[in-house]
Amino acid sequence: MTESGYAEFESSVPLHSFTGESEHLTGMIDPSENLVDFYLDLNTLKTGIDRRDRDMYRTLNVEEYPFAEFTGSLESMFDMDSSEEQPVTVAGEFSIHGTTRSVRINGTIQVNGNELILEASWTLNLDDYNIEPPGILFYKVNEEQKIRIEATLKPKDRENLKS
Amino acid sequence: MKQLLLSGILLCFILVTATTEYCEAQIPRERVQTDEPVSDIFWANSNIGVSTVRNLSAGNLNSTIAHVFGPVTGGIDRFYGLDDGANTRLGLDYGLTDRFSLGIGRMTFNKVVDLRSKYNIFRQSESGSTPLDLAVKFSTGITTLSGVGLEFSDRLSYLVSVMAAKKFNRFSLQLAPMAAHFNNPSPGNQSQLYGIGILTNYELNERFSISTEYLPVLGKRNNGTHNTLGAAININTGGHIFQMFFTTSQWHGEQFIMANNRDRFFDGDFRFGFNIHRVFGL
Repeated sequence: MTESGYAEFESSVPLHSFTGESEHLTGMIDPSENLVDFYLDLNTLKTGIDRRDRDMYRTLNVEEYPFAEFTGSLESMFDMDSSEEQPVTVAGEFSIHGTTRSVRINGTIQVNGNELILEASWTLNLDDYNIEPPGILFYKVNEEQKIRIEATLKPKDRENLKS
Repeated sequence: MKQLLLSGILLCFILVTATTEYCEAQIPRERVQTDEPVSDIFWANSNIGVSTVRNLSAGNLNSTIAHVFGPVTGGIDRFYGLDDGANTRLGLDYGLTDRFSLGIGRMTFNKVVDLRSKYNIFRQSESGSTPLDLAVKFSTGITTLSGVGLEFSDRLSYLVSVMAAKKFNRFSLQLAPMAAHFNNPSPGNQSQLYGIGILTNYELNERFSISTEYLPVLGKRNNGTHNTLGAAININTGGHIFQMFFTTSQWHGEQFIMANNRDRFFDGDFRFGFNIHRVFGL
């Protein structure tokens, strides 16, 4: 279960790029059931300019679809006894803006004592999720958004997580 | 055909089962509980000529271009004041923290350079735990007009303003008592002026709002001056805030508006002007 989770996206418009980030990435990796499950409350994403944030929330329709979520599994299990950074691939379903797509995402896992340190990045195409890129006149946000996540996970009893 | 149908049903069953398993295995989704400051009490750091409680986030730079033209009573011959030249103020403000900003600007009239700071003591919160925004502004004006034989200290004026504002759904109200001091006022003018800025903003939708400001001078005032009144339409283009307005005063900065406005709105003595605000994340 995440002890801390960070997610960011990098977005660009002509001659300019900006980053949005959140410290509220929540999720878990359950090696016994080979389950990887993460979600982010999109209302916690901040770009540093509050008006731009509100435009982003409106574009993502966060009132109706508050979460970006991934649920899937590891394609190959990592070595729990190794402290080296290990490449991993997860496959599953990613949902945002009310649209779900099957995705494969590459990342790394490192075992550090009783912690797992996860890092992953991928490119999200707004059009795939029916998200209209915001813009003014001829300037539009690029459809391709670079996503990066970092999470530190600690062991936790999953029964306690279910409501 | 029967086999195809059976395969279809089996595939559907597998998909539904897989989805259900995922759902059962997922950790429960919970919204993050935050108590953010209420957004857009006013849409820009200044309304028409009076500052608002709105402040910059840390690391943000706001640029302002403000123009106020001549009186519209000039008619078509003066193109309703646009031929009379504008008093233009160019300004930059920078957010040092999420509550404290510093700014500098320069206007055409008297070639006044102003240095200003704004601090939000507290901010209206979405939960209502803090019911209003309270901010304080300090500003120093320096008249840089040459050839007038003034010592540096004679060129200085000061303003302190306490701004209390609250947003009620789409409607915002700000009351801003203020005091101004001029080190060397023109003969017959007051060295101290007091006033209260009364500002409103009403959001029509995400792109447009209508705002007003009224700045009565309280107590002694300069001879021939009147209280300033103005009304603006605010346009949010996504990157910029445009404010197009009619106002009585051609001056920028509260102390200069209180000291110099000689026009009355309802006598038709108002002017067209516009402000452009743009925030850059640095």
